[in-house]
Amino acid sequence: MANPTPSGATPPPDAPEAPPRLWYLRGTIAALTSIQAVVLFSGFVGFGGLVRDIGFPLGAAILSTLIVWALPAQVLIVGGFAAGSPVAVVALAVGLSSARFFPMVASLLPVIRGRSGFWTQLASSHFVAVTAWVESFRLMPGVPVNARMPFFFGMSITFILESCIGTVIGFYLAASLPQALANGLIFLTPISFLLQLIRNSRDLIDRLALVFGLLLSPVFAQYGGQLDLLWIGLIGGGAAYAIGRRRRAKA
Amino acid sequence: MSLNDPMLYAYLLVILAGFLPTDVFRSAAVLFSRKIDEDGELLVFIRAVATALLAGVIARLVLAPTGDLAGVPLWIRLMTIVIGVAAYFLFRRSVLAGIITAEIAIVGGAVLFR
Repeated sequence: MANPTPSGATPPPDAPEAPPRLWYLRGTIAALTSIQAVVLFSGFVGFGGLVRDIGFPLGAAILSTLIVWALPAQVLIVGGFAAGSPVAVVALAVGLSSARFFPMVASLLPVIRGRSGFWTQLASSHFVAVTAWVESFRLMPGVPVNARMPFFFGMSITFILESCIGTVIGFYLAASLPQALANGLIFLTPISFLLQLIRNSRDLIDRLALVFGLLLSPVFAQYGGQLDLLWIGLIGGGAAYAIGRRRRAKA
Repeated sequence: MSLNDPMLYAYLLVILAGFLPTDVFRSAAVLFSRKIDEDGELLVFIRAVATALLAGVIARLVLAPTGDLAGVPLWIRLMTIVIGVAAYFLFRRSVLAGIITAEIAIVGGAVLFR
């Protein structure tokens, strides 16, 4: 290749513009060499294993990686499938968990949009998920403004394809590994999600919501009926919010 | 709507309960891309509910697994969570260290006790 790959340094502002295709390729390479991609990939391998164990069809799991593209939402879906929850209940749960994309997309778009039109921006919003969001804020300063959209597409589409491959690998690994290792694979999803929730909890409300959700789960699994998931969220999250507010009001 | 066909149920979940409620928020953000306050009261409440929801699902995957994991005794599954969280804090809040330690615990427990 004639053009050297950027080393992360800010290119001179008057550098001759490389064609969008080259920036798409550079985005792809950035995704393939990102540490975050390793974490992402193992997350989806674990998801694939979980899917197999629950009896969720592989095709639907891959479709969810492609069109939902949010692992927490996907875990809610297969968890709802395992519990036999009504579609509307799972939809509400997923909506609550995916509301965080609103501020994420709103904060990322001004950074990446450049001169792109409305439909390109709308298309790009689907590819926004935690990993692409974090990596964009890390890498975009080194990308010329008008090259950011192709770079973003290259990077995020690579993330999705890697994750689809991870889902398939996990699915088949769960069947072919010795039983104890397969158990470890299935356990990857709950333990990594739990630790990430702990790490991401920023204040008292977050921590209380996490603890209440964990503790209420066995109670409502017993007595909550088909709406148990929502009761856990509303009562656990609502109580955490109320306590956090009161503490803040007193302070 | 019949939920008796697991295939249909799974695909309906992915499209109606997964894709729609997720991309609604992604698309809305493009339409109203004026910056919204990440610490606004409504979003704080929604984040609390979402956190509790996800914690609830995690707890269920551990406490009442539907597949092969159910063959691993409950106390081992619970010990694994405790060990993983302890390792996370011990290794200066390292998610990776917590996961690796928990994985060793669950695989070891499955080898020895199931």
